[in-house]
Amino acid sequence: MNDNTLPLEGIRVGDFSWVWAGPFATMLLAMLGAEVIKVEGHKRTDLMRHSVIWPLADPAPADVPPNQGMGYNTVNLNKKSLTLDISKPEGALLAQQLAIKCDIVIDNMRSGVMDRIGLGYEALHKLRSDIIVLSSGSRGKEGPEKDFPGYATIHNAVGGVAYVTGYPDDAPSTTVGDTDLMNSTTTAFILLAALYHRLQTGEGQFIDYSQCEAVTSLAGEMALGYQMTGRVPERMGNAHLYFAPHSVYRCWGVDHWLALEVHSNDEFIAFTRVIGKPELAQDKRFKTMKARKRNERTLNHIIEEWTRQRDRDWMVNEFCQAGIAAAPSRDWQDIYADPHLRARDAFIKVQHPEIGPLELVGVPWKMSDYTPPANRAPLLGEHNDYVLRQILGLSEKQVAELRNKDVISQG
Amino acid sequence: MAGATLSGIRVIEYTNMVAGPYCGKLLADLGADVIKVEPPEGDSARTVGPFPNDKPHHEKSALFLYNNTSKRGITLNLKTEEGKEIFTQLIQWADVLIDNFPPGHLESIGFSDEVIQKANPRLIYTSITPYGRTGPRAQVKGDELTLAHASGLGNLMPVRSADIRRAPVKPGGFQVAYQSAVNAAVVTMAALIGMGRTGKGRIIDVSMQEVIVGLLRPGIASSRYQRASWSRVPDRPPAMGRMKTNDGYLVLGAAEDNHFRNLREMMGNPPWMAGDQWLNMNYRSHHLMDIAPQMDAWMEKQNKKEVTEKLASKGVPLGPINSIKDIMENKQYTFRQYFTEVEHPVAGKYKYAGWPYQMTASPPRVSRPAPLLGEHNEEIVCKELNYSQKDYLRLKKSGTFGRIKR
Repeated sequence: MNDNTLPLEGIRVGDFSWVWAGPFATMLLAMLGAEVIKVEGHKRTDLMRHSVIWPLADPAPADVPPNQGMGYNTVNLNKKSLTLDISKPEGALLAQQLAIKCDIVIDNMRSGVMDRIGLGYEALHKLRSDIIVLSSGSRGKEGPEKDFPGYATIHNAVGGVAYVTGYPDDAPSTTVGDTDLMNSTTTAFILLAALYHRLQTGEGQFIDYSQCEAVTSLAGEMALGYQMTGRVPERMGNAHLYFAPHSVYRCWGVDHWLALEVHSNDEFIAFTRVIGKPELAQDKRFKTMKARKRNERTLNHIIEEWTRQRDRDWMVNEFCQAGIAAAPSRDWQDIYADPHLRARDAFIKVQHPEIGPLELVGVPWKMSDYTPPANRAPLLGEHNDYVLRQILGLSEKQVAELRNKDVISQG
Repeated sequence: MAGATLSGIRVIEYTNMVAGPYCGKLLADLGADVIKVEPPEGDSARTVGPFPNDKPHHEKSALFLYNNTSKRGITLNLKTEEGKEIFTQLIQWADVLIDNFPPGHLESIGFSDEVIQKANPRLIYTSITPYGRTGPRAQVKGDELTLAHASGLGNLMPVRSADIRRAPVKPGGFQVAYQSAVNAAVVTMAALIGMGRTGKGRIIDVSMQEVIVGLLRPGIASSRYQRASWSRVPDRPPAMGRMKTNDGYLVLGAAEDNHFRNLREMMGNPPWMAGDQWLNMNYRSHHLMDIAPQMDAWMEKQNKKEVTEKLASKGVPLGPINSIKDIMENKQYTFRQYFTEVEHPVAGKYKYAGWPYQMTASPPRVSRPAPLLGEHNEEIVCKELNYSQKDYLRLKKSGTFGRIKR
């Protein structure tokens, strides 16, 4: 029986974060059942509400209305939206009242901003002793670089992953905005751990989160390796220290590639059969893993002579059926077309009142007795009435007054 | 202070390499009681390295030592009946089971989902697999390289590579596995919290491909609905992106108008950046490439650390592309005491990467170094599962914990 009790039902999150490193963390909590209230100033909305992901389409849309940015709609599913001008004293006070009705409060503003407007941990803790507050910053809340600003690619660079990404004979490469979403995932984890702790002990706490450090933690073996060998790990392209073949090969067509990795002699034998060159498995240049690694360049050349004349997806299927790890190097259009992702319901369908139906990437897990909520990201200020009246207990008149004073958005 | 964050949670992990072990480490460093079950020959990460002075040794592999801190370890030969019995008892002992072997592996040795759930109906069983447990590609092999490309991440890099004759490239290290581990930890924690209400166990299916696809969600939707298309994406406007310095590289993100104004001032207001139009983001989006050669030339004369301090303290977003050596010498990491010293009885004393979260009430810590192979066999069997010393010796003799030939 699927009773679909969402695991975080009854947990409320006050979300003062914006862009990606923060909003996606609270979206993960929302998809697990928490009530997430996204607080924005209506004059200082989440930048992603207007976003088109770089590089711009041609012709570039000149102006994206605040509910239509894909950078917003993809990382704010199943939340509620409150507009509140927290630069006004009344707005800040309401924000504080809301915050202490939340189990968790999160922000990714610059160090000190939340403290100044009474939303810092010290102030909130006095009003609600078991509150959990997480502040997510580029380099952390204290220290000589605490005020250094950053974005995803900068964190990827400072944290050490960009340095080892790319070809040895070329410049290092950052990844893209995914570093923000990674940081969100780590943030969601530590929030849930802190929440577990609170449920067991009644004790809340403040969490000071560094987005650069989170990158380094996902490459911890590099720090140990450097101390053990005295060598700084460098870029290796698609190559592996021990395995060959282990690379990305050109396929028929323009800019089509397939990735292939062979981990054992048995896999190599199977591989040589697929490409119709079983004699390679007996060739002393390629017979053992060590020999293949030594002669990797020659081997890659032989392989690419075969792959460049053939269709990518056909080859991938042949290799996979033969028990070899192979995959197309998919671009983003390919992702929507992937039959495996389709079969696993990896996408979620929502109806957006301004854009129409949207098919977006869903939650990155399956779980028994769980159907992910399928609610779109909220329109700007969509839940003002709900939050102000039902959670904060304001009267209709008081809400109208806030509207007149421009503390919350019109309409 | 009321004890460690996750004290009281019992975890067994039947894991290998990175995705499963790191998920266990995340919980263990916060105080969960994590028992790692290894086959007699050990986790394959023990053979990967790097090793001190490049001498392979199964207790000295950096990859293993990092990903298995704060755990106890037991070796089990799951081909023996006694090994299976102990594994069953550990499933009954635990709140959480983490498994990152391919779909069907545990079933093939007698532990189907039904068997596991029957043994412990309250168990949270977290499975991490390359493509998930269902779907047409469930049985396909996948690892870092293939999954990075299958998920749409590899295709984006190297960024700003104008040369499409060169293959797209994976991120360095084990990014797919690490990120999958964190995702698995999120949903595992949520299930543990929800358990308080339902009392019912769950099976969690984390597909590593979907984890990475999930991190690219804004761009993926944009490619469909706004026709943006990325492949080895140009990273320059509106913020300039990667730039060369006299000693390496950095990433400049002077995206907003005030960032650019401060940058221009720090550069000494050169004539080729004069005019108010440069303080307009929209203008820069279209014209930044016009002055890229001059900006690159300026940057190539700078030292990455010095220019970062100079500009970032004025609020310009940028950061050096740090090697691990740079990071270990960085004063912010030092100030936050990010690296933590751990002494391992065989491998010795090293500084380990820590955690990005500092917690006022229940901070993470390494409570013990990674377990030696089979280090806690006796302790776990006798103390946790209440076998007598005599029974333990009998099991040992009959090969339940394996006979290790090294």
